[in-house]
Amino acid sequence: MTGTGPVLDVQDLHVTFASSGGDVHAVRGASLQIAPGEVVGLVGESGSGKSVLGLTALGLLPRKPEPRLEGVVLLDGLDMITATDEDMRARRGTDISAVFQDPMGSLNPSMRIGAQVAEAAGGATDEEVAEMLAATGIPEPEHKARAYPHELSGGLRQRVMIAMALSRHPKLIIADEPTTALDVTVQAKVLDLLAAASRERGVALLLVTHDLGVAARICDRIAVAYAGRIVEEGTAAQLLQQPHHPYTVGLLASRPRLDGSIAGGDLPTLPGRPPDPRLPLAGCAFAPRCPAADAQCAGPLAIHVNGERRNECHHPGVLTRWPEGGPHAGRRDPILLKAPNPVVAPAMVRGVPPEPAVVVRGAVREFERPKPFPFAKRPAPFTAVAGVDLEVPHAGSVAIVGESGSGKSTLLRMIVGLLEPTAGDVTLGPGAPPQMIFQDAGASLTPWMPIGKQIEERLAALDVPSSERGARVAATLEAVGLPAEAQTAVPRALSGGQRQRAAIARAIAVPPALLACDEPVSALDVSLAAQVLNLLCHLRETLDIALLFVTHDLAAARAVADEVVVMQRGEIVERAATEDLFTDPQHPYTRELLAAVPEIHAMAVPA
Amino acid sequence: MSAITRVGGPASRMWRGRPALSPGALKGETVWHALIPVAILSLVILIAPVLAPYGGTDVNPVGALQSPSPDAWFGTDEIGRDVFSRILIGIRTSWFAALGVILLGTIIGGLIGAIAGAFGGKVDMVLMRITDLFLSLPAPVLAIAVIAAMGPSLRNTLIALSIVWWPWYARIVRGEVRALAARPHAEAAQLAGVSRTRLVLKHLLPGAAAPVIVTMSLDVGNLILALAGLSFIGLGAPPPAPELGAMSARGLQYLFGHPWVPIAPAAAVALLALAANLLGDAINRRLDQRTTR
Repeated sequence: MTGTGPVLDVQDLHVTFASSGGDVHAVRGASLQIAPGEVVGLVGESGSGKSVLGLTALGLLPRKPEPRLEGVVLLDGLDMITATDEDMRARRGTDISAVFQDPMGSLNPSMRIGAQVAEAAGGATDEEVAEMLAATGIPEPEHKARAYPHELSGGLRQRVMIAMALSRHPKLIIADEPTTALDVTVQAKVLDLLAAASRERGVALLLVTHDLGVAARICDRIAVAYAGRIVEEGTAAQLLQQPHHPYTVGLLASRPRLDGSIAGGDLPTLPGRPPDPRLPLAGCAFAPRCPAADAQCAGPLAIHVNGERRNECHHPGVLTRWPEGGPHAGRRDPILLKAPNPVVAPAMVRGVPPEPAVVVRGAVREFERPKPFPFAKRPAPFTAVAGVDLEVPHAGSVAIVGESGSGKSTLLRMIVGLLEPTAGDVTLGPGAPPQMIFQDAGASLTPWMPIGKQIEERLAALDVPSSERGARVAATLEAVGLPAEAQTAVPRALSGGQRQRAAIARAIAVPPALLACDEPVSALDVSLAAQVLNLLCHLRETLDIALLFVTHDLAAARAVADEVVVMQRGEIVERAATEDLFTDPQHPYTRELLAAVPEIHAMAVPA
Repeated sequence: MSAITRVGGPASRMWRGRPALSPGALKGETVWHALIPVAILSLVILIAPVLAPYGGTDVNPVGALQSPSPDAWFGTDEIGRDVFSRILIGIRTSWFAALGVILLGTIIGGLIGAIAGAFGGKVDMVLMRITDLFLSLPAPVLAIAVIAAMGPSLRNTLIALSIVWWPWYARIVRGEVRALAARPHAEAAQLAGVSRTRLVLKHLLPGAAAPVIVTMSLDVGNLILALAGLSFIGLGAPPPAPELGAMSARGLQYLFGHPWVPIAPAAAVALLALAANLLGDAINRRLDQRTTR
């Protein structure tokens, strides 16, 4: 309608939710413009208000608790704040559409894909539906149109969502973490598809993500959200090569990267945490965590606009690199953690090379498949791990990378003893039995038991005398960077990062010979992930714990591992020292994995 | 909302400011605290008969079938017993009988459900098929059979009801335990070296507490009605014990001339069941709030 104006114009948006603990200020005066056909990334950690901003533009904010909205959100001329539900509904689909993180939750499980696409398009023939599906790179579109959502892979489902989002030729698509739940190779393809669809059809795209790398891959312009404000904005190149706001600098630095950072070296971390969303802000919200902050920063906001670039730093550009190391947990005296009990002490025989933490020979694991119907012949078992040899040296660090379904988690579970191998041997080295760190730390802690009790259980199981347990628990909590109060807290009272630290504390209360980590940081924000990776590396050095690290995140693997093993369809296709694998990958699958990683190239910020 | 209020970060300095997602959790409140109102009501019902102006079985043939008056609030029955006093005692009997059946059902059902859920496999299958067998028995018919075999008494009525009541609890506990056993926290505890017994008692069973308590509290009303029903058809305590269902049944013949005799105990049953249900709903809401944050 307006033609030349921005398709989305957000001005000084405030979104406040009432809660029992006081008002939660989710967005505190954010402004953002998107021109027709532009691809814009909105990057921030959880709690930064980025998703709330996207939902406001869609008119899809939750009704409960009731949000209070101030400011202007113009969607192609229509103010979404004052618009009636009917107006907004009319705009969704035709002017604006959305792609969310979980396509399974957005698709109707009992309706065929084709029917859902036709519905989203407001009526379409089978041929048109097939065309739309084909345009998003879905193979055999006529066939897939007859499938139900659960019959498709995650990547295909997300493509269906994109086909639905594009079906009515909207002016703007809001994609909220569209690839976060996908494997890295699939992630790259879906991102490229989104970018290509947007460029070909002139559809503007707002990509909401926590991952700067994802935004860097496809975005023209990037806006960085922090504590409900857009703290920095600029073209992707400007922002990545010359960040002006210290928060952007910190975000860039704490991202494990494929080039540069060396295993064992600490990733720079952002100390502290975002401000409490219930408290009013005075001055720069980032100042308490900022190495370059001074008295001025508490004063009125300084907003600098220069052409495309905009930032809210009092001293823009003063910080060009994040200081090395930074205050990071786990630097304290780890001696208390050394097992006093010789039975569980890591084997260190003078002069003799220590035995490996684990040796796996010819491990096979099959799973029975259910019968398709009663009295049917049982189908051949599914082979998750097909004959794998693996060795983790004493105090070594090995990463297993691969996509979901590659058998990497099954292998890990066999090694720690949660699964019996169908064939082959797992031989553990001397020392305390292996421990495991799970992806979802919250789920790996017993919800109703205080953290201290859960750590104590581990000590009791290894016959640490009860008189020593209290001190050991306290020392362990300190070693992982948790406050002493955590001892009496139940998991729910902790934040995500703190829960993962608590899970690590339990695992290392008596240092095991091997610590198996199953995607330990993939559920965490970038800066928290860096802290946890650093902590793991640090514990490995101080406690002689071998790490076996399963991940789909190659950059994280590079940050912690000496050796990387690549798994595909239950087999190891390549293994190499970390540096060799990243500089000179041999197997085509490894090359594909490496090429797919969303990477920020040519950054001025040294790691 | 949790995504918006979630915060991260390590140091202790940050500890104080973080929003408490669950205020109860920080105060060390457990699911059992939800039962405090039940305990208070039980206490009131327990001491209520002290207020009864007359004994429950005190006969006064001269003052039979009196209308309600300040001397006898709900009048007297056909042999001159004070209906109000009998109702206060009858309420106590019904209430604690209901609690007793529920408690027994929870203990038996909880034990069988926990064993079935924790062991799984064949043990699970055998125990759950037995449970299903009991579930398939129709409650009134079974009660009649038990009482016919053992003679009418309150104790036998309670035995009959317990036999049909426990399987529900077995199913709930077994389902919760199995669901929790599949969570990573059970595997993590196993890896930490926790014994099997401790795993079930400390890491699995407490998770079943909330749904069990909700079912228990919603069941009190059901049981009061079931007991009154059995007692109404003569399967409760034999006369002269003051029991609400039986009082109502025997008073029916005076319904038109002296309506307070059958209606007062019937109203007492209705009010007691209503109170129990309201309490159950309140407990349900409170625990629901806790689990959904």
